[in-house]
Amino acid sequence: MRFVSEMAEAEKAEDVVSEFLGQNPHLAQWVESLRGHCETNKQWGARREFILRNMEGYPTIQPGHPSPSLDRLLSLSMVWANHIFLGCLYPQPVMDKITAMAEGLEVHEAPVRKTRDEIMGRGKRSSLSEREDDVSQKRPKAGGAGRPPKPGPPPQAAAEHQPFFNRLYKTVAWRLVSAGGFGPNLDHFDILRACVEGAKASLSCAFVPLRDIPDLPAGRAQRDGQVCELRCLSVYLGTGYGRDDAAARAMASKEALKTFQGRKVTVRVCRRRFRGSDVEDLVLLDEQTRGAGLPPALSYPFQSEPAS
Amino acid sequence: MGVPAFFRWLSRKYSSIIVHCLEERSKECNGVRIPIDTSKPNPNEVEFDNLYLDMNGIIHPCTHPEDKAAPKNEDEMMVAIFEYIDRLINIVRPRRVLYMAIDGVAPRAKMNQQRSRRFRASKEGVELVEEKQRMREEVIQRGGYLPADEIKERFDSNCITPGTEFMDNLAKCLRYYVADRLSNDPGWRNITVILSDASVPGEGEHKIMDYIRRQRAQPNHDPNTHHCLCGADADLIMLGLATHEPNFTIIREEFKPNKPRPCALCGQVGHEIKECQGMPREKQGEHDQFADSLPASEQEFIFIRLCVLREYLERELTMASLPFPFDFERSVDDWVFMCFFVGNDFLPHLPSLEIREGAIDRLVNIYKDVVHKTEGYLTENGFVNLERVELIMQAVGVAEDNIFKKRKEDEEGFKRRMKEKKKRMKAEQRPSFMPSGQFSPHALGGRDRPQAIQNARHAAFDMRMQGRDQQNKDAAQSLKAMIRNGNGNQSHAGPSDALDGRGTKRKADDSDSEPEPEDNVRLWEEGWKQRYYKNKFDVDVSDETFRRKVVKSYVEGLCWVLRYYYQGCASWKWYFPFHYAPFASDFKGLKELFTEFEVDTKPFKPLEQLMGVFPAASGNFLPETWRTLMSDPDSSIIDFYPDDFALDLNGKKYAWQGVALLPFVDERRLRAALEAVYPDLSPEEVKRNSLGSDLLFVGKSHPLCDFIQELYTTGSTESTEMPPELCHGIGGTFNLDEEPILPDKPVQSPVPLLRDIAQNIAIGIKFKDPQFQDGFVFKAVILPEAKMPSKVLKPGDWEKSSRGSWRPQLGFNPNRQQAHLDQSAFRTLGHSMNRDRQRGGQYSNAPPPGNYHQGNYRPPHGGHMQPYQNPRQQQGSLLGAHVPFQPQQYPRQQYGNQGWNRAMQSQASAYQQNQQRGRGGQGNYQHHQGSRHDDDQGHQRGHSAGRSYPLPPPARRYNWN
Repeated sequence: MRFVSEMAEAEKAEDVVSEFLGQNPHLAQWVESLRGHCETNKQWGARREFILRNMEGYPTIQPGHPSPSLDRLLSLSMVWANHIFLGCLYPQPVMDKITAMAEGLEVHEAPVRKTRDEIMGRGKRSSLSEREDDVSQKRPKAGGAGRPPKPGPPPQAAAEHQPFFNRLYKTVAWRLVSAGGFGPNLDHFDILRACVEGAKASLSCAFVPLRDIPDLPAGRAQRDGQVCELRCLSVYLGTGYGRDDAAARAMASKEALKTFQGRKVTVRVCRRRFRGSDVEDLVLLDEQTRGAGLPPALSYPFQSEPAS
Repeated sequence: MGVPAFFRWLSRKYSSIIVHCLEERSKECNGVRIPIDTSKPNPNEVEFDNLYLDMNGIIHPCTHPEDKAAPKNEDEMMVAIFEYIDRLINIVRPRRVLYMAIDGVAPRAKMNQQRSRRFRASKEGVELVEEKQRMREEVIQRGGYLPADEIKERFDSNCITPGTEFMDNLAKCLRYYVADRLSNDPGWRNITVILSDASVPGEGEHKIMDYIRRQRAQPNHDPNTHHCLCGADADLIMLGLATHEPNFTIIREEFKPNKPRPCALCGQVGHEIKECQGMPREKQGEHDQFADSLPASEQEFIFIRLCVLREYLERELTMASLPFPFDFERSVDDWVFMCFFVGNDFLPHLPSLEIREGAIDRLVNIYKDVVHKTEGYLTENGFVNLERVELIMQAVGVAEDNIFKKRKEDEEGFKRRMKEKKKRMKAEQRPSFMPSGQFSPHALGGRDRPQAIQNARHAAFDMRMQGRDQQNKDAAQSLKAMIRNGNGNQSHAGPSDALDGRGTKRKADDSDSEPEPEDNVRLWEEGWKQRYYKNKFDVDVSDETFRRKVVKSYVEGLCWVLRYYYQGCASWKWYFPFHYAPFASDFKGLKELFTEFEVDTKPFKPLEQLMGVFPAASGNFLPETWRTLMSDPDSSIIDFYPDDFALDLNGKKYAWQGVALLPFVDERRLRAALEAVYPDLSPEEVKRNSLGSDLLFVGKSHPLCDFIQELYTTGSTESTEMPPELCHGIGGTFNLDEEPILPDKPVQSPVPLLRDIAQNIAIGIKFKDPQFQDGFVFKAVILPEAKMPSKVLKPGDWEKSSRGSWRPQLGFNPNRQQAHLDQSAFRTLGHSMNRDRQRGGQYSNAPPPGNYHQGNYRPPHGGHMQPYQNPRQQQGSLLGAHVPFQPQQYPRQQYGNQGWNRAMQSQASAYQQNQQRGRGGQGNYQHHQGSRHDDDQGHQRGHSAGRSYPLPPPARRYNWN
């Protein structure tokens, strides 16, 4: 899945931590003293990174001295580790806090657990209608609720939109050149928005909390955070995940811009998952991708809009 | 231990350990209830000296019963608890000591389990309320009727934890209760009551064990005192065995499976809350007179005789041709130890040892081999020999692979069989002709014979017609089927062929196979170990250090648990810091894994422990600022309180069987966080948070009373040694109570329903168990002067000895007289009771426990009991034909020395008639019989007014009434 490609970047995290500790040997010894007796190497490695990354937020912590602020950080690190490794869920304010603190932290192959509520069939938003109500209440953009999707985009739509995206492709290419080439340090959303607006169109973003998305593969570590889907003229551009809306949007823009890195872009009709069923969607692709392995759609512009 | 299967297994394998309790019911006369005089001999034909109550087993069912409506408020709960204790006293009738122990703060090792239970209970409670609400709306919308929802607060059973206000109130109420009974109940007159409430640290049953252990170790202990311990936990059996007291009995409620539970919404039985229709209540009985009595609603009690269990174990464990003398007591300790592998409250059980799969038998077999090899026992006085344990574990480890495979096979086989059975049940049709009336089929040995046919001619006609009707129907059906199939030439149109044409279509296929919880460990497949460690611990099997850590913790756990049972709590701090156990094959090199526990650890304070075991949802039992620590994102212990947690079904089917993956509590951080909020405690809370002391109470007529009163008058502040000769050799120390219960000082009732005690004659004082030096080892041996109770089981060589046919012993008394009814008695009975009354049901063949055999203790109807009793009272002459006592049995009755009336002799002043009996000495049966006779009469005096019995000798027993 593309939108969790953050993971790849986190792979080096372990090296970064050990490098950091190598440079700060006094810290290394102290931080090792915070390890729980029964923690596995994997769990401890992740928690250690969590602690080290968030040390700045707790300036009163003095390594080697117990203090309430250290305990608070330790407690939050345990909350996070319990959430990831044991599958515990905490009250929302606590969850928000640790999601923010754990940004950029990735854990590989975190165990998949079923919470008690899920086993008892409670709390889990399993029925479709319930979830849709939820989403549409929070995000009016996410499309109408409860209507069966129409057959899909009109057959000529792909061809109709192709010229526009050819224009957009050029705009993006020039824009990127002037920004010094595609890279991680750009404001991807800003660039994409400017290009789309320059082509006399607008971007639409749909946000959905990660936990409300069905059909996600098992094995992911995150449960919280936002997912953003970008469309332009109802053509799908990309999906991204992040701690909050802005981060998700930035990631989605980055994914969208990646499409523009090829030699050309094409608008195609592809099958994707949308709220648990397969639908036909308009998707912008580069010449390599085949439209397989698309993330599930978060919005679907090709169904009759409700009266509201 | 939380292993329900253990007791079931034990009672099936060793069935003679169970004895049903006989319970004398109180009678009502003109609407006045006549209290039972428990100072009379025990109807169970045994006398107990000491009754120990593990109070939590009483508090839970009394406060939130499963089989009846919950009490409305706390006062009703207290009264229910009092009544329950009264009932137990009535059955057991202790003569020396009543020890009531409420769970106090438990060792850290127990905290994981407590957390898991309380987190679940909290969620279950909320779910039930939601479900009720939902169903209520639904039922009312459908037009059903529901009784008005009493506005009552949901009783959060989590408040049954030391340190809560509820427990504090309970302790007060129990003090009142004890004072009241000591002052007013003749049965309590001479007993010493010890109350160990929730402020005294330690689990209830372990406080009891500690008391017994310490009494045994002091020189004045009576080695033949008879203990009776009340509680349903299976580990009480282990604890009882661990004491090595010869007379130890456990009393518990009889477990009846599939008891009907009333619907939580409408309070009627017969359906669950999900199926509640809101139908009007059915009338119970013709005039609704049985409205409040569920069928067989009252639980019966059973005794578990540990001396019989010891007999069984002796047969099983005895090893011939050992290289050293066989010591049964040591092998019992080893047996207890091996039972811990299968399950206990402090450690998860080993994946390969499942009690249902005969794990204990397997262990016993391995054990016998190992003892031969190692030339020694596994344990001594509660200390484990790890080298020998390793050998056992390795032997289990070798078999592990096969155990898992076999488990899977059995499971599959079971499923297959169930499926086939279902199929068979579906296919099976009723026989085409079923005779009715006299000729209808009946279960073999059934008591309720069908009524004889009154009008033979008419009955014959009916049957003929019925048969013909049936044939007609079948014929019609097969005809229809033929027509439908368009298949006229079917030659054999029997009823069996007609089946397919009979209406409903078969379902497509067996869609009834329930979705199985997925199991990614698959212990039965190659690579199970790797998968287990990966899935359960999230480590690779190659991570040897981690695996070693788990094994080390488990080994420590085994040592801790055994020590806990035999010596008391070795460390209040130790706990098993994982959710799962390792494999038996991982137990290698155990010797260097365990050295010693940290000494001088202290238990948590009650409120600290509450912080450790409660979910945030039960925070209302805690002071304000303490509560915030459970929910504030900035709290430094917020990680202890997840809202929801993962549940690993671990191969089981139901959520409650699964492992709750709750985070462990970091003691250091907990204490540090609480330090900041300690100043916020009110004085009352400070008091609740402090550690309390056991209290001892006696009535005025007890020899100790004057001694204690003297202490209060002198007002001595230091602790005083208890004089053992005043109280059956019980030792300990006294400290003055700050708010004592004193004679002639009225005791205020804490429950508005109950009256104050104006004339109190009870006295209370702080009591402390005898203390021993650090490092003192309590010996797990039979005490020197202990006399072993006579054997109950049939000797293995009985047949060879030509002593006639074996008569199994059913109760406590080896020479129990069985009531016999001769023909005239049956005639009389049949005259006054409907002999054909339907006592249907599965158990109708088995005599109800304690209805018939005890004869006169629970007469069915006051007016018609004479024929019942007379044969019994004049047994000698009337039943000459079947004298049940073979003459050669006489020498084996050691009546005067032990058995059920031994204890009574020592209570000389209270039971004068026993002195006569005692003088009878051995084998003097006729004499004894005579005194029994008197006894019965005396007993009946209370309720058989108007019958012409000779008056009993005056002032025999209750001269103080």
